[in-house]
Amino acid sequence: MVTFIEGIGTRTLKLCRSAFETLFFTWQVILHLLDLKTYNKATQLVIITQLYFTAVQILPLFIYISALMGLFLMGIVLDSIKQMGMAGNLGNILMGFIFTEVCPFMTVLLLALRSGAALNTEVAVMKVSKELDALNVFRIDAFDYIVVPRILSGIISVVLLNGIFTLVLLASGALFSRMIFGLAFDAYIRILVVSADFSDLVILILKCATFGFFITLLPIRYGLTASNELSSIPIAVLTGMNNVFIAIVVIEVLSLILSSI
Amino acid sequence: MFRSLEYKVGLFILITSVLIVSAIGYVAYKKDVFSRVDTYTLASFSGEDLTEGMPVLLSGYKIGRVHALELGDDGRILIRIKILHRHAKWLRRDSVFIINKPLIGDPRIVLSTGKMSSPPLSTEAIKEVVVANDINTTIKKLEPVVERLNRITINIETLTANLVDPKGNVNQILRHTETLAERLARTDSLLDLALGNPDTVSAVQEALKNTEEITTEMTRILKTVDAMAVKSDEALYGKDGIFPSMRTLLVDLVGKLAKLDQFVIHVNNVGANVDASTKDLGVLRRDIDETISTINSLVKELDRKIPFRKEPRIKLP
Repeated sequence: MVTFIEGIGTRTLKLCRSAFETLFFTWQVILHLLDLKTYNKATQLVIITQLYFTAVQILPLFIYISALMGLFLMGIVLDSIKQMGMAGNLGNILMGFIFTEVCPFMTVLLLALRSGAALNTEVAVMKVSKELDALNVFRIDAFDYIVVPRILSGIISVVLLNGIFTLVLLASGALFSRMIFGLAFDAYIRILVVSADFSDLVILILKCATFGFFITLLPIRYGLTASNELSSIPIAVLTGMNNVFIAIVVIEVLSLILSSI
Repeated sequence: MFRSLEYKVGLFILITSVLIVSAIGYVAYKKDVFSRVDTYTLASFSGEDLTEGMPVLLSGYKIGRVHALELGDDGRILIRIKILHRHAKWLRRDSVFIINKPLIGDPRIVLSTGKMSSPPLSTEAIKEVVVANDINTTIKKLEPVVERLNRITINIETLTANLVDPKGNVNQILRHTETLAERLARTDSLLDLALGNPDTVSAVQEALKNTEEITTEMTRILKTVDAMAVKSDEALYGKDGIFPSMRTLLVDLVGKLAKLDQFVIHVNNVGANVDASTKDLGVLRRDIDETISTINSLVKELDRKIPFRKEPRIKLP
């Protein structure tokens, strides 16, 4: 019994410690992000490289997946709207559900699966191979050189790729609206604009930025938890990715609450 | 040359940023984010159901929103509303602001524009709002219906109680029906069941037989009457019947009456001539009277001149 209670206590403490360490790490990252000294030549170069790997390199595949998903998703959604006789709510459904909820969620999911996992593994390997220690030896701030560029590129990538995803879905929506409802493009845009709320768009961008922040921060944070053994790499990646998905759900819920206020 | 990593990243950021900023800018422009707004103040005795961001509607069209809610010095709730400047012309001094609380959906402020000739509403003025509560109105309308439903429920309860009660009307009816069914099973006919006495049943059957005979006799009489009617029809409407003869007579009479009519006209003419002749006779009479008086004068003159005649006599015409 005592062991059981101790177990609960140990887990709780571990969880609290982990949460506290994550919050402290987040605070440090924010401080470095806001510090202009961080953005030296080397950091800028890393930011550009990370942007290339996170956003530009994935672009053809991302557009292809967006188009495919857009065709399926918009086809199903618009057909369901017609079947249920909810054509009057077309704008609200597209703006309130597809463009402000589904698009960022799909974008962040794709990026978390690709870049989040890659970052987590990269940092864990760097930790195991003592690359971070080597940086310290050369008095290079690992935060400035490793963490900040990756997180910043993550934020920018999610915001921009979400824009592309939304545009592709908008185009698919226009196509299916014409096919299913016989809606002209200008009428389709007018319906969307009427249903759109400017504050929702601001929340959407903030949400994307938050998603980008956490899907890069958490993999780095948990990548740094790897020990000196190679076997700790998959554990660090697993824990990191689990936390990334939990963070995605939490942010999604928080944004929904924020939108409804 | 243009395929460097920096170029690709720069191009990507530029294009996507332009697209996103354009889209957001377009929505912002269409949603009047950059349009000029005027702030007006309304006052309400209750802040219930009032929320920031609540729409202000004119003819169902959103022209503004509630910007802020404050507690005034007099205890009233001050509602700051922001109205797009281009819609400010609809706000007049005699405009009425109604807080509409629909049964379904969020409350809204509805603007009822007064006379357009009335002066524009000042942004400094504080207008009192009117509360229109759809829920209370609906409840008031529903009250009689609920009362009726209550009565119906009571009636149903009474009926149910009656149904459950073994001595109740329904159970009595059921028992009677059962007895009736039993009796029906025992008896030969419904008549026997209804009357109960076999003698009465025989009497009724006898009466029915008599009725049948009477009916047969009546049918025979009706046939005879019908035959008579056929004969009468021949006598009245036949070739030498009464009605054709009467018709001939009447035609003849009409012809004669026409002749008589002409005769009467002739007699009238004669009468008129006689009337004219009578007038001539009057004149003749006057002439004769004058002649007689002249002759009398002449006789008198002769008597005066010839006195030997004792009995003077003059032969009149």
